[in-house]
Amino acid sequence: MPLKPSSCLEDVPFVMRGPEFPVWLLHQLLSIIHTPWRMSLLRGLLGMELIGISVRPFLDFQERLALLGTFFILIDKEVIYICPFNGPIKGRVYITNYRLYLRSLETDSALILDVPLGVISRIEKMGGATSRGENSYGLDITCKDMRNLRFALKQEGHSRRDMFEILTRHAFPLAHSLPIFAFLNEEKFNVDGWLVYNPVEEYRRQGLPNHHWRITFINKCYELCDTYPSLLVVPYRASDEDLRRVATFRSRNRIPVLSWIHPENKTVIVRCSQPLVGMSGKRNKDDEKYLDVIRETNRQISKLTIYDARPNVNAVANKATGGGYESDDAYHNAELFFLDIHNIHVMRESLKKVKDIVYPNVEESHWLSSLESTHWLEHIKLVLTGAIQVADKVSSGKSSVLVHCSDGWDRTAQLTSLAMLMLDSFYRSIEGFEILVQKEWISFGHKFASRIGHGDKNHADADRSPIFLQFIDCVWQMSKQFPTAFEFNEQFLITILDHLYSCRFGTFLYNCESARERQKVTERTVSLWSLINSNKDKFKNPFYTKEINRVLYPVASMRHLELWVNYYIRWNPRIKQQQPNPVEQRYLELLALRDEYIKRLEELQLANSAKLSDPSTSPSSPSQMMPHVQTHF
Amino acid sequence: MMFFFLFSVSGNASTPEFKKKKNSECLLRLRHEGLLNSCPAGVASCPASSCPFRSPRSPRLKLLESALLLGPRPTAGGMEFSELIRTGRAQAELLRGPGAPPLRGTLCVTGHHLLLSPGPQATSDLWLLLLRSVDSIEKRVAGDSGTITLRCKDLRVLQLDIEGVEATLDIARSIEALSSLESVITSFPFFYRPKGLRLGDAWHFHPPEHHYKRVARETNAWRLSEVNEDFSVCPSYPRAVIVPRAVDDDALARSARFRQGGRFPVLSYHHAPSGTVLLRSSQPLTGPQKRRCAEDEELLRAVLAGARPGARGFIVDTRSAQAAKQARMTGGGTEAKAAYPGWKRLHRPMERGRPLQESFVRLVEACGDLEQSMDRWLSRLEGCRWLAHVKEALSTACLAAQGMEREGACILVHGAEGTDSTLLVTSLAQLILDPLSRTMTGFQELVEREWIQAGHPFQLRCAHSAFSHARPKHEAPTFLLFLDCVWQLGRQFPLSLEFGEGLLLALFEHAYASPFGTFLCNSEKERCLCEVRTRTHSLWSGLNQPKEQRKLRNPLYVLNPLAIWPSVEPQSLRLWQGLFLRWTRPPEPSEAAWEKVWQIVTDKEKTEGSQPTVSASEPQP
Repeated sequence: MPLKPSSCLEDVPFVMRGPEFPVWLLHQLLSIIHTPWRMSLLRGLLGMELIGISVRPFLDFQERLALLGTFFILIDKEVIYICPFNGPIKGRVYITNYRLYLRSLETDSALILDVPLGVISRIEKMGGATSRGENSYGLDITCKDMRNLRFALKQEGHSRRDMFEILTRHAFPLAHSLPIFAFLNEEKFNVDGWLVYNPVEEYRRQGLPNHHWRITFINKCYELCDTYPSLLVVPYRASDEDLRRVATFRSRNRIPVLSWIHPENKTVIVRCSQPLVGMSGKRNKDDEKYLDVIRETNRQISKLTIYDARPNVNAVANKATGGGYESDDAYHNAELFFLDIHNIHVMRESLKKVKDIVYPNVEESHWLSSLESTHWLEHIKLVLTGAIQVADKVSSGKSSVLVHCSDGWDRTAQLTSLAMLMLDSFYRSIEGFEILVQKEWISFGHKFASRIGHGDKNHADADRSPIFLQFIDCVWQMSKQFPTAFEFNEQFLITILDHLYSCRFGTFLYNCESARERQKVTERTVSLWSLINSNKDKFKNPFYTKEINRVLYPVASMRHLELWVNYYIRWNPRIKQQQPNPVEQRYLELLALRDEYIKRLEELQLANSAKLSDPSTSPSSPSQMMPHVQTHF
Repeated sequence: MMFFFLFSVSGNASTPEFKKKKNSECLLRLRHEGLLNSCPAGVASCPASSCPFRSPRSPRLKLLESALLLGPRPTAGGMEFSELIRTGRAQAELLRGPGAPPLRGTLCVTGHHLLLSPGPQATSDLWLLLLRSVDSIEKRVAGDSGTITLRCKDLRVLQLDIEGVEATLDIARSIEALSSLESVITSFPFFYRPKGLRLGDAWHFHPPEHHYKRVARETNAWRLSEVNEDFSVCPSYPRAVIVPRAVDDDALARSARFRQGGRFPVLSYHHAPSGTVLLRSSQPLTGPQKRRCAEDEELLRAVLAGARPGARGFIVDTRSAQAAKQARMTGGGTEAKAAYPGWKRLHRPMERGRPLQESFVRLVEACGDLEQSMDRWLSRLEGCRWLAHVKEALSTACLAAQGMEREGACILVHGAEGTDSTLLVTSLAQLILDPLSRTMTGFQELVEREWIQAGHPFQLRCAHSAFSHARPKHEAPTFLLFLDCVWQLGRQFPLSLEFGEGLLLALFEHAYASPFGTFLCNSEKERCLCEVRTRTHSLWSGLNQPKEQRKLRNPLYVLNPLAIWPSVEPQSLRLWQGLFLRWTRPPEPSEAAWEKVWQIVTDKEKTEGSQPTVSASEPQP
């Protein structure tokens, strides 16, 4: 089955063939080419088995490691790519078990497409062997990242059959009992992204456990709740027995547990699922008592605030299926607010409408009103508004907050993680953000597998929904409004979204921690954070200013929200910023300048403090210097 | 003594000692603001001899014109302002919108300013508002206090809560009267004497000769003509214009008679890389009889001949073909194909005048309407059509620039009068093509040359901003549209402009109300009559002071020698939040970002500078 070995992850197969390529020239090239280019050249050459052994002595250790992740070219044939922007392009398509490349045969063999097979959501045959018209016979591929691809092939001899089969097989491995690519990927990075998140450490950073909150291992083998992580933080005064009783009253046993605690006023953000009130209006004394215990952890006199992310009517409607919300009668010491955020189906349809107006052609004549009719920005606004309310309640110290929706893994994750991002500057650093995603999304059971449909061919699955994309969009909106508050840049967010679908990393696979543990994901796959943390500079915002204890309140008004053009319309060449490279270049320069400045400053301080401590010892001087550093960076 | 009067009415303490102290404080503050010699007009006891209004007029000013320019009572001299001031002072609280804390203190109206002097315990400085910048005023009284809402030309909305009904009404009337004075030479720039600036500098900024020197270095097909030295050929052109060398002054004068307002085709920009030129003019007066003018035709022929053999030309008419045809009925028209061989006409209709002003008013209304339910914002924004105007302007400018750069053609731009959309297109085209015009000085030169000297009637167009209830006569935000387009360019090419949003905001503010004389009057002729250049300070010298640079410059700038082709797709154009939502959003984050970038860029130099001092103080081992 495998045709030719190749080794291209980051790079493109080179189309250089034949023995006429002089080896000496290659050696010359290798000696002068800059490292990253050299790497791509090497990979390309190796992939084509062009020179084999004669290159290997030139590789250093890292390069050899990177080349270990070899995989195979499965298809290599001529097709016509029907580009929606530039018309049909004759090209050569290469399909490996990870991605699809298209190289133009017309203009200087430029690379036109580079699509990880994971982003494919649907493959359809268009036209038949007898259909007429130019380029009417071929394949139509729908992607999860806001684009469609069309290929036209020769009508004779079922020319599309092998391409269709191979694509279907490798884009939807689950349907063919094949492993997802992440399990085949043997990439090596010099940092291990799986070590980024350690729940115990993260809770310790928040000052937990303390007098009022304890860490419990009651869910160690996922026996209390199979979609929760094994480690939970609960009120000190609630016994394990209490927790078990509360679990019976919460949808899918997702009991209220701590997400974040305010370092000063000790108010908390607690997340859970809806209570199982049902039509009859059931009550549960243990749940009521448990919520009161949460309220009392910071000796709060006022009521506990409950944010139900759903619209009021949806919450009522959920009673019919056994769910519901906390009623005033049962929970005297709680106040309930609905945040009016719609469910996953509404979001999916909204994004579909966005795609309709931006791809392939952008609706031009009434751009703003058609954008309005997608309601996408309105949903973003509601999510942000909800998160702001949560953050404000907690930071003003007025009340602890309990957040839930129906199952507490979609809207709840959005609200808690965004509120934490607003409240805690730690999460605005690159590693902090990775921890936030690992914690609030991955470990607390956002159903990535169902929402994204990794390797699954059922493109119309009603469980799919762009909830995580919406969260990243909200983060982007915040980073627009606070250009200096985030350590990461736009590229970081786009990279996360790209690998949300690509299946190259294990990070977003499966629905919950228990499933991931069963599949040994951390042992058998690579983490996305390994890729990002081993090349952090590419993802850094040069204007980042570290500020401790600053709460960010973005303006969640329609006036200040905008469509993330660089993500949603990035495939359209006319929208592209025309000179992204100089901008990135300049940003890198600034980063370097900044680093140099910090280094210089530290040196000066060191010299200064040494000088100060030498003749007349003044122990306070270094600590006096420190705030100075922090105000600048 | 003059100032004693001014502030004795504003003192809120009863003891004379305190009064004295407070007055001297205020004096200090005023002196600091450069306003010291700016307030005599508001003072009843102003000695006649020191009053600038009594000074003998320049003999060059004809009587009729001077009467026109001086407004209703030219001979009343220093008395006129004080007559308009109904009351000197009141206790008031000022609300400045979100983000700024309210300010309490004594309110005081002077000839040109509204002053709020906070109490002695307050740490904040004197608050000043140029009365000229008030666009509309609204008063409301309830009980024994009143509220005045001031809507300013820079789109700020201020609320003053004033104690006393009578005081409220008086202050409102004073502001109303003083903010709508039309005379030019009693306006504040004629009294503004900031420290550190020299009068008369304005003459040295960007005279036409400078631009000609640059053109002459690149080509010798053009000459500087002084045919308009006394503004008789074209009242809205500067003294000197650049014209084809082959055409003499008599022919120019005759061509001028064939163009509306005498605006014959003149050089706007020479694009050295392709050897082509950008010209601007007004419409030809062909009229219903389809008149022709040999000299005008000769002028355009000479342009093509001067460029290179066989060069083509495009006439970009900023009206629709139909509107151009209709203009014939009123004596205007457009160039006939047969009369101008080698020139091809393109029509790119652009909105101007009333519709543009209305679009501006609607947009500002939408931005200030905080009740606006969220789900209708985008369609309302679209309904304002402002971004459609931005798109039109940028794409027409791209067309002109493309013609020069890619087709190697000469371009003549005109609409009807040639003082509005024409200038918008020529100035934007230069920004796209010319890296020099994207520098700080280059851009200032561009504004000076293509807008101020080219005769954009600033006084008429910027008499009122978006809040005025007065029926618009000649108002149109053409210059603001230009600034918005430049902002869009800057957003799409963050590294290519040497100046930042700060400069654009400053130009917007100063175009509508300014202590500087740069944007006064409608043309060079009027400026000359009013002696604007010798008796007021230039905005350019104000802006180019070192302390302003950090606000105005783009720290990310690197010279980009290429043309910058903007994307004009609707998704690429944004609402200029920094301007339209400036006063309703918290400004800190974006300002912090700007500051941060500066810090990174400049700190390196600083640390390098500081190192030797540290090492010098270190004991040598």
